[in-house]
Amino acid sequence: MAHSTPTPLAQEERETLRSFIADQLERGNLDLPLLPVVANRVLLLSNDPNADASQLSSLIQQDQALAGQILRIANSPAYASRTPIVSLQQAITWLGLTMLAGLAFSVSVQNGVFHTTGYEPEVRNLWRHALATGLFGKEIARRIRHNVENAFLCGLLHTIGKPAILHLLSQSPGNSVEPFSWITVESLFEEFHGMAGSKLAAVWQLPDPVQETIRYYQDDQYHQAISPTKGAMITCLAHHLASVMLENSTHDENSLLTLPVVQDLNFYPEDMTALLELGETVKASVECFLP
Amino acid sequence: MTSPIPFDLIVIGSGPAGQKAAIQGAKAGKQVALIEQTREVGGACVYQGTIPSKTLRESALQMVRFLQATEVFEFRMRDDVKITNLMTRLDRVVRAHGKFMKDQLTRNGIDCFHGRAGFVSDHEVRIQKIDGTAALVTAPIIIVATGSRPRVPDNIPIDHEHILDSDSILSLVYLPKSLTVLGGGVIASEYASIFALLGVYVTMVDTADRPLKFLDQELTDEFCEAFEKTGGHYRGGQKIATVQWDGCSKVTTVLESGETLESEKVLVALGRVSNLEHLHLQATGIQPTTRGLIPVNHHCQTTVPHIYAVGDVIGPPSLASCSMEQGRRAVCHALGLNPGVAPEHIPMGIYTIPEMSSVGLSEQEATAKYGGATVGRARFHEIARGQISGMTHGLLKMIADPKGEQLLGIHIVGEGATELIHIGQMGLLHNMPIDRFIDNIFNFPTLAETYRVAALDIAKQRQH
Repeated sequence: MAHSTPTPLAQEERETLRSFIADQLERGNLDLPLLPVVANRVLLLSNDPNADASQLSSLIQQDQALAGQILRIANSPAYASRTPIVSLQQAITWLGLTMLAGLAFSVSVQNGVFHTTGYEPEVRNLWRHALATGLFGKEIARRIRHNVENAFLCGLLHTIGKPAILHLLSQSPGNSVEPFSWITVESLFEEFHGMAGSKLAAVWQLPDPVQETIRYYQDDQYHQAISPTKGAMITCLAHHLASVMLENSTHDENSLLTLPVVQDLNFYPEDMTALLELGETVKASVECFLP
Repeated sequence: MTSPIPFDLIVIGSGPAGQKAAIQGAKAGKQVALIEQTREVGGACVYQGTIPSKTLRESALQMVRFLQATEVFEFRMRDDVKITNLMTRLDRVVRAHGKFMKDQLTRNGIDCFHGRAGFVSDHEVRIQKIDGTAALVTAPIIIVATGSRPRVPDNIPIDHEHILDSDSILSLVYLPKSLTVLGGGVIASEYASIFALLGVYVTMVDTADRPLKFLDQELTDEFCEAFEKTGGHYRGGQKIATVQWDGCSKVTTVLESGETLESEKVLVALGRVSNLEHLHLQATGIQPTTRGLIPVNHHCQTTVPHIYAVGDVIGPPSLASCSMEQGRRAVCHALGLNPGVAPEHIPMGIYTIPEMSSVGLSEQEATAKYGGATVGRARFHEIARGQISGMTHGLLKMIADPKGEQLLGIHIVGEGATELIHIGQMGLLHNMPIDRFIDNIFNFPTLAETYRVAALDIAKQRQH
């Protein structure tokens, strides 16, 4: 996934960038702007008296930033019910679509669109991967008759640290000249996205299983999760399935079978075959949302 | 696949039935192989059934007791009590119980295999392991204890998201505002009453005119009254036409009468089906029944004499307690050991709120068998212990022969019913006359005292 005009950074510049990100994370200066396509659709739907409620519901459920923001606002003192809002479906049902449309509109207007000049294809891929992970998470959860809503939310939000880092980079002094190479961005993701995601999730008071998933979804960490909702474990496998489906994985379908998480979820080869066969459906669902 | 590993006994499935079968075999000095397709032992009883639902029930009851106590003791509960907290407790209990069972099997020297079992012949079982490899085991005696899972009706699109079954409901991360429960059996009634107590608007829908129709009507009437008091609703005599998620915020259940019910979630609890799909039973010559059960005789022996089937896979009564005993007795029979006297009276415990429990003959059965029955009643709110504990619902119903002399059955509704029933069960086992409950001195104040009150009620009728 190389950037069209890669600009390799000198070691010194990279260190400067690392320090900048680390400093911003330390200060908690994090934000997660909406993707342009989502913001535009929300604005259109919110202003359309004939809009189908399920369209807004679907929109809210398909974007990391909007989903996270809605959960944050729904749990804020201004809106919170006695019961914490821990699922997007719960937010939609409890708050009602009129109020949600208002919240979504407010989020879209306040945050504007994501300035990703120079990174559009890559950002689109990040978004597709997050959505595909959420959708695979649903299918895995269905298969083990576990909580589907939670699995979807965990999958959708597991890498929210990445757009948060990109947003930070867009504000860094060096970005004004020319975008950084995607290789550089990816190496910064590797180092910082977990921390950024965790911080954002904590500040936004996202549901506990989601916070835990963001921290522990990776192969060598999911066993540290203690949440009974299995979000981290399901997301770990969903993440791999999404990567294989989107062809940006080091694994192929056969090597997926040997992953420890497959065994920990008690998936037999035929279970995995059935999951992989859903790949086309998931892909179609992801592409369907793309403009 | 290498040559088969020989054992004295193979048990397929580690739920209550399989576990007790394996332990009985090991205690008889046999080399036992226990095959379980999931990583953990214990079966649906530990992970999706008995233990989780009872733990959730207990958590719900404790929470409500605390809420009620806040008025008396002037403390406040946190406003943000989360269902995930209830579920976390559930997870801890389940893990602890699973570990205990695993340790018990290890202590007894049982060889546990993780894999899916399928018959290759009537003496050989292939174990397909999770990594795709396989092993073969063989034994002169094989016990099938593969259990059951929730039935998925053809006309209801269970998605485990909006339309749940009794497995997926256990992973809820928030309480829905409303829940439609399809079914009127044990699982449906248990979950319906738990969620109603937690403040969810619950509507139970079933074809029968009352839930748990196999129980004494006085018990179910008492249950229905308590259920309605917590905000639940029972809609009897209804058939379901369609169930559909609207793609946004609610599930619509359309009844054949044309009426529609809308709710945030739907729980489908319309029976269970036996787990036979990986067994390759055809390799043994055993023919399942048309209802998908393995047919057995009273020793739990199949049509192939050295293959036994126990637990849910053979159908009702589908009680964990009964399954355990079936497992033990099947192995005793297979090994020529004396299993002891067959239990004539098996108590039935239903963990609704309030609990219900029953043993022996019902009033109707006694009337049919003896041409009449004398019935004694004791209500919990008339007993000191019931008053102290604030029990507004509760009834012990004692069934005697027409002369009012011999105990024939006990039926209880009310908290503690599943424990209290055992006094009556022992009475039945020992053919206890009604007067023995009057002669006996019970602790005061206790709910056990209801036995004496009910016996006195029978004695009073005898005098007329």
